[in-house]
Amino acid sequence: MLSLTPRIDTNLQSLLDDHEFLAELLDALGSPLNLVLPRQLAANVAAFRETYRRHRLGGRLYYAHKANRSGALLRELAAGDTGVDVASLGELQHALGAGFTPDRIVATGPKNREFLWLAARTGVTVSVDSADELAELAGIVAGHRLPRVPVSLRLAGFTSTGVRVLTRRSRFGTPAGRLPELLDVLEKHPDQLELTGVAYHLDTVGLPEKAVALEGCLAALDACRARGLRPRSLDIGGGFGVNYLADGAEWDRWTTELGQAVLGRRPRMTWDGHGYGLRAENGTLRGTLALYPAHRPVSGAAYLDRLLGTPAPELGRPLGELLLDHMYDLDIEPGRALLDQCGLVLARVLSADGDAVRLDLNARDVSLEEHGVLMDPVVIPRTGDRRAGPAAVHLFGNLCLEADLITRRTVFLPVLPRPGDLLAFVNTAGYFMDFSATTALRQPVARTVAVHRSGGRHRWCLDEQYWPVHPRQETR
Amino acid sequence: MRYDDITEAIGATPLVRIDPAVHGLANVDLYAKLELLNPFGSVKDRAAWHMAGPLLSGAAPGDTLVELSSGNTAKALALLAGMHGVPFKSVTNRMKVPEIKELLLLLGAEIDELPGQSECLDPTDTDDPLTRMHQRLAASGGGYLHTDQYFNERNVDAHAYGTGPEIVKDLDGRAPDYFVACVGTAGSSTGVARVLRQHHADVEVVGLVAAKGDFIPGIRTIDEVHEVGLFDPAVYDALETIDADDAIDGLLTLVRRCGILTGPTGGGAFQGAVRFLRTIDAGLTSRKTAVFIVCDRVESYLSYVRDRRPELFGRPPRRNSAGTLTGAELAAAPVLGVGDAQRWLTETNAVVVDLRSPYAFQALHIAGSINIVDEVFAELLPAGLPFSRRRPVLLVCPVGEKSARYSALLTRMGHPDARSLHGGIIAWRDAGAELVRD
Ligand SMILES: Cc1ncc(COP(=O)(O)O)c(C=O)c1O
Ligand SMILES: Cc1ncc(COP(=O)(O)O)c(C=O)c1O
Repeated sequence: MLSLTPRIDTNLQSLLDDHEFLAELLDALGSPLNLVLPRQLAANVAAFRETYRRHRLGGRLYYAHKANRSGALLRELAAGDTGVDVASLGELQHALGAGFTPDRIVATGPKNREFLWLAARTGVTVSVDSADELAELAGIVAGHRLPRVPVSLRLAGFTSTGVRVLTRRSRFGTPAGRLPELLDVLEKHPDQLELTGVAYHLDTVGLPEKAVALEGCLAALDACRARGLRPRSLDIGGGFGVNYLADGAEWDRWTTELGQAVLGRRPRMTWDGHGYGLRAENGTLRGTLALYPAHRPVSGAAYLDRLLGTPAPELGRPLGELLLDHMYDLDIEPGRALLDQCGLVLARVLSADGDAVRLDLNARDVSLEEHGVLMDPVVIPRTGDRRAGPAAVHLFGNLCLEADLITRRTVFLPVLPRPGDLLAFVNTAGYFMDFSATTALRQPVARTVAVHRSGGRHRWCLDEQYWPVHPRQETR
Repeated sequence: MRYDDITEAIGATPLVRIDPAVHGLANVDLYAKLELLNPFGSVKDRAAWHMAGPLLSGAAPGDTLVELSSGNTAKALALLAGMHGVPFKSVTNRMKVPEIKELLLLLGAEIDELPGQSECLDPTDTDDPLTRMHQRLAASGGGYLHTDQYFNERNVDAHAYGTGPEIVKDLDGRAPDYFVACVGTAGSSTGVARVLRQHHADVEVVGLVAAKGDFIPGIRTIDEVHEVGLFDPAVYDALETIDADDAIDGLLTLVRRCGILTGPTGGGAFQGAVRFLRTIDAGLTSRKTAVFIVCDRVESYLSYVRDRRPELFGRPPRRNSAGTLTGAELAAAPVLGVGDAQRWLTETNAVVVDLRSPYAFQALHIAGSINIVDEVFAELLPAGLPFSRRRPVLLVCPVGEKSARYSALLTRMGHPDARSLHGGIIAWRDAGAELVRD
């Protein structure tokens, strides 16, 4: 059995154990169904805060809203002390409506005029990608006679000396070497723009690249000061990662076996011999494994801790100490990591015939495969009777498309599911829940419900009905 | 021995018998092939010269030699390229051994570190580092000489012409019964095995790779080895894994008992060989010979060993270090709040010592202060007080923790008036007190 057992914390497990509750929800609201657990957020926020505390750093934690559309998750965070990173006009409206005040919002990503106007009108911080965008923003502020807007300058393309640390090219941010052009624009519009600091976000798991970027931002902040500006924060974006699997040995074993399968030295373990980026050429394994490193012992707040402890490539002093020495605030924009253990997607089994298990959801409803995250679903049997297992199955979606496989991996389940059983795809709140959901073929998009535990049992409401105004009613 | 250039000193390395008291095998004579005695320090000298020689002699002005290597191949190629006035660039996934990185820079090599995996998956991005490098070389439209060690047959040939025949010659024309080698590019093990089998069809060849998830610099893991073009599983009668602990155990044995200054893979090869031979030793009815390769030297791996066995480098605790302060000493550290500190500074001629990094100090500091970064400060104290007892001192750090520790330490060392700025320079700034930039 080549299992990839998901990591499940006690609260999520207690929900999974509540078979009757889940079955009732699915009967009432249809398959598929998204469940979010807003009350789980606090623990993740606390873990990041603990890392800040350990490094004696101050600064804001902005939740990267793009990771999940849920209003319940957003409102729960609005009730606390975190901020939010919005990447579209719709997300900004959503955040304002959820109760975030503008001083707790940063606008990132591609921006149209309307997005810039609402950001400027409400006074949220704008993370600016280019000199043109900065000038456009200044024009909007001047034209509409708006108050000064706080801006942070997103930089990219940092250079290293000695060993050249390469980074994939990004379409966002201004090359660090062109900072002076941004500062020229800022100097031209002192009544429209107020610099808060600089920012980067790198799409990589690699610490050395982030260390180069962070040190590059410190140099950029110094250049801002030399021009008489008063920056106070460094925003290092998101990308702290999640550990999805319970057991590293399972991941090691599965990836080793996949290589052997691609080389033809063992039976296939994927649909059609799919290699997830690996291929065989004359008996040699080529390509790279295009999968998220699902077992990541150092992730989330621990990854931030590791980054802050990493010596700056040039100055040699740990990055966290340099930030502190400079008295800069450290801002972060975690999406995935903040949503660890905060949700799951439920689907009904339509049929189970041989190794073919058909589900009433499709690959867009739970986009694990698209994001390269491999972990097993949890079987929730409808009736308590014993059944045969283990079973090696393929999970097929409800779209009339050959490619609609929930995963191309052969999945090993402890029991063979039956029609009517439920499958739970756990820990899917960060990016895999409704990120790519579609109504193609008029298949329904999943409803989202917020679940919490109180008075000794699970309770739920529709996502849009959830407001964090609960009286203190937790179970003792 | 007199040579016209250093490349003539490549090869002809000694084969040295390991004292049976060390390996404990009753029926096997175990020999080490000392590749560490090659002029650039490793087994890779042979392959590097054999692959790069023809390329370098045909090099056009402006050509650059490139290779995907983070270790000995890069070192040998850098030296060879330097001799020919050709620049050398090493492209690596991750340069994990700091001493080697530094050494390569010293040798004049340029190093490119490839990016890490993307956090938000791009499923179309499935190129391995080697393919990506080939693409970069193709896109650059020439000017690159690529030795391509993972696929280049000349890597194998270097050992089929050199290392293998030397072993046979030193064993009086006979191949050993067992041959054990670590596998990086598979060049040395494949080339040697080929020659040995020509002399003795039954020689047993054991390849050693690192356990999955482990790291032994210079060799591949059990998974990675399948990405090597020269690797052919049929070459090996057995492919065994060793881990970093084995490598260091073997290294210590060879270094401390045999006078062989081996690096980790030589240590791993010794440990792997003994482990393998021990299982058959008792059943042997005649004397057998076994050979393993000592690939390179220990000096480049001090930090690698230190990270895994800090106790081997144990030093006595230092005098006057902040780590030796007691809770009571810390609690008694003299501190001043921002307001009091401002007043005290105008009343006394106290010196303000800022313990932050120079870069941060230069950006913004308390007027008239001097900067001694905490690491340097810690280095000064074992030798005694770095300033006069007659001058009061205010220590400043970001939040007032480090400065409190050092004021306690200075007090213990006999300074009568060393104080710490409570809340640090952040409290100073937040109180609106003056900070300057010179
Ligand atoms: C600017 C920015 N910030 C934050 C994030 C969140 O990243 P993650 O969910 O990996 O933490 C992203 C993700 O794409 C981003 O583009
Ligand atoms: C230290 C060390 N040991 C062993 C090897 C393995 O040699 P080969 O590449 O011939 O398999 C290498 C090769 O890079 C090495 O650097």
